[in-house]
Amino acid sequence: MQCDDLLNYLSDYIDNDLDEALSAEARAHLATCPNCKVVLDTTMQTIALTRDREKRVIPAARRQQLFDQLQDAFLNQPDKTM
Amino acid sequence: MPEAEFTDNAALLERLRERDADAFRQVFEHYSDRLFRVALRILEDEREAEGVVQDSFLRLIESLDRLRGDAKIGTWLYRVAHNAALDRLRRRRPTQDLADEAQDDPGDLPPPVNLVDWTDLPEDQLCSSEATDYLDQAVAGLSDSLRAVFTLREIEGLSTAETADTLGISQSAVKVRLHRARLTLRERLADYFSEQVGLGDPKQA
Repeated sequence: MQCDDLLNYLSDYIDNDLDEALSAEARAHLATCPNCKVVLDTTMQTIALTRDREKRVIPAARRQQLFDQLQDAFLNQPDKTM
Repeated sequence: MPEAEFTDNAALLERLRERDADAFRQVFEHYSDRLFRVALRILEDEREAEGVVQDSFLRLIESLDRLRGDAKIGTWLYRVAHNAALDRLRRRRPTQDLADEAQDDPGDLPPPVNLVDWTDLPEDQLCSSEATDYLDQAVAGLSDSLRAVFTLREIEGLSTAETADTLGISQSAVKVRLHRARLTLRERLADYFSEQVGLGDPKQA
């Protein structure tokens, strides 16, 4: 496997979407290519940092307001199955 | 972790049709913040994103009796919210064409340029408020099509299939866009963090 191939397969490798033969080839390449190893490690770190990023939520007061309005609409919408 | 659907989806839909208040609360609790974030990534405006959440649930309420028994409520809501956010964006900037170049050709990836290894930086540097701001800006700077896939797959944890359903694109397009988004963000973060590698550590300079 060459660097170009590794780059193409990188996300599949990270997501465990490669079959065993390709995965073994990728591991063999990574063991001998420091540049590709850096690309793999920094890509995984990038993914980890975005996943750890605090998730934004609807401000609490507004969320309650929204729920009340919507529940009202939900309960007052006629049920056509009855 | 797949978070898009409840496992008892059909039963939940049935309870919603019977106007079960607990079922509605359950769906709101599970999806409201998720839909908010999907809209916020597109609109970058909290009030407008709240409006999208409201519109999406109203659409769900109106559509309850028309949805098929096997309809996936989560994917359905994500799709409605995504499209509602895009509609609002078009109204805001009607002269601008939103359809950015779809980058679905698996070949021709931009080669990685910055090859500094910054993964050993200490946690407080990786997660400083300046660094997280930079990360947010980098995600916001992705093209519309890459950001949509990246947000659903990486931040909201949807599967490839669920993301494809939500955006109305093929699973292979999801994979290609996710790959491009990751490599683009990797490059941006490498530019930021590599400048901090070696500072105060002469052997890495």
